[in-house]
Amino acid sequence: MELLKNIFSPLTQIKGRTSIILIVVEAFLALLLWEIVGQNGLIPVPSKILTSVVSIVTSAYFVDNLFSSLALTFTGMGISIVLALLVSYLSLIPVFAPVAKFIVKCRYLTLTGLIFLFTLLTQDGHQLKLSLLIFGIVPFFVTSLLAIIEAINVQEYELCKTLRMNNWQTLWEVVIIGRLDQVFEVMRQNFAIAWMMITMVEGLSMSEGGLGTMLIKSNKYIDLSTVFGILVIIFALGIFFDFLLRNLRHWLFPYTKIQVKK
Amino acid sequence: MTSYSKNEVLIAVKDVNLSYDKQILRDINFTIHNIVRPGMNQGQVISLIGRSGIGKTQLFKILAGLIPPNTGTVLVGLEQQPVKAGQVGIVAQNYILFNHRTVYDNLRLAMKHDSITLGDKEKDALINDYAAKFDLTEHLKKYPMQLSGGQRQRASIIQQVLTGNKFILLDEPFSGLDALMIDRVMELLLQVSTLDELNTLVIVSHDVENSLAISDTAFILARQKDQEGATITETLDLIEMGFAWNPAIRENEKFQHLVAQIKHKI
Ligand SMILES: Nc1ncnc2c1ncn2[C@@H]1O[C@H](COP(=O)(O)OP(=O)(O)O)[C@@H](O)[C@H]1O
Repeated sequence: MELLKNIFSPLTQIKGRTSIILIVVEAFLALLLWEIVGQNGLIPVPSKILTSVVSIVTSAYFVDNLFSSLALTFTGMGISIVLALLVSYLSLIPVFAPVAKFIVKCRYLTLTGLIFLFTLLTQDGHQLKLSLLIFGIVPFFVTSLLAIIEAINVQEYELCKTLRMNNWQTLWEVVIIGRLDQVFEVMRQNFAIAWMMITMVEGLSMSEGGLGTMLIKSNKYIDLSTVFGILVIIFALGIFFDFLLRNLRHWLFPYTKIQVKK
Repeated sequence: MTSYSKNEVLIAVKDVNLSYDKQILRDINFTIHNIVRPGMNQGQVISLIGRSGIGKTQLFKILAGLIPPNTGTVLVGLEQQPVKAGQVGIVAQNYILFNHRTVYDNLRLAMKHDSITLGDKEKDALINDYAAKFDLTEHLKKYPMQLSGGQRQRASIIQQVLTGNKFILLDEPFSGLDALMIDRVMELLLQVSTLDELNTLVIVSHDVENSLAISDTAFILARQKDQEGATITETLDLIEMGFAWNPAIRENEKFQHLVAQIKHKI
């Protein structure tokens, strides 16, 4: 009874187990509702999607496509974070600040208009996909990283001064290693953007396959249960990597766990 | 009356003025002398007392060399050189430490700069020594976020002492602490002040009672009638008054009378 009252009153702290039960129950109810209501509709019902997920995962071409997408995502993410970190750290040196500001604004450029240019500039489909992905992610990375740097308390810089560090040591201590855990968090949060873009750029050059290619092909044949099956796989993988990155962060930077508890 | 003498000038503040859109600080002048007592390392504990918003933090930053005044100078050390950021230690009000490093690493960082020539073993020994003295031994491996306010403050003070700074500024060291912790901090500060003959603690606070109880000299920062900007309106020589070097002085009736008087003036 107490529990029932609690889950309906605002600003109530609920315990870990209760919140997991809530998630499971609500997800189950939603799926059940979908299954019942959707019987005669256009959208395939959960049981059908599940069957197609199983058949996709067990099909011969799935692993190749999956690895193609993962490889592209990780390469893209890796290069993007290095570029974004470089730009963000350099932004602290006045000469480079305008460049960083411009890159941040590039979030508002739409990729579609630039595809032709990128096609001319790159040599093959792989390069095209990779460069579009990087061009798409870097502005978001830089935006988040600059926000982190912006949020640093001046007192931390002052502390460095009283400890007689020079500007380079201060940059290292406060901005670089002092914020590495947050860089990791930015990567986790922006992984979603990369993962979302991957299916889009894969559609531009289908020769290498990938989850995005699978998605587009099934769309063409109006094979909706396969489309939804692929979507579910993409969704599940995204959640899985999010979970992985979060735990990796706690493991690499033990002090981030303390902040979470507070 | 304990025998003592006031010798060389350690800190001299001359004609400091600061204004933003309006005048904040006006004609701040004071000097801090090396107090010498036979048979011991007697450092200096000075407080700058004023109410909130009067400009204490600005004066604090000027003394630390973090912001330049519009006019005037701050000279520090036996050589009386203009202050440079880094020469004066700071213990900020919220006890800033590096959250990504353990307490031990935070302390270790304080001894990284070139003017400290100790070896690794000696540095370790020094850290352990201070940690034991100031009740931090069992917390050395923890991260700052895991410490209580009082523990963070002690770590912060030790960090500044380890840097080798003789002059340490403390911003509101008594705020946010309960009565018991305030007594502990006073003990700690008195201990730090007697570690070295030249050690000089400058406390910036609105807490009249505790600041006066721990200081040998106090400057009152207040606004004068019809004048913009705060200045030093009064200097209290607590040694002369017989109130210095004795935290138990807070129970003394005459001392309480003085506290009431000053509270009225700020
Ligand atoms: N950067 C600034 N620009 C303009 N006014 C400021 C600035 N910093 C502080 N002030 C003003 O200076 C006054 C004194 O502030 P502060 O030194 O923080 O007071 P205290 O530490 O005594 O509480 C305040 O009225 C505040 O508004």
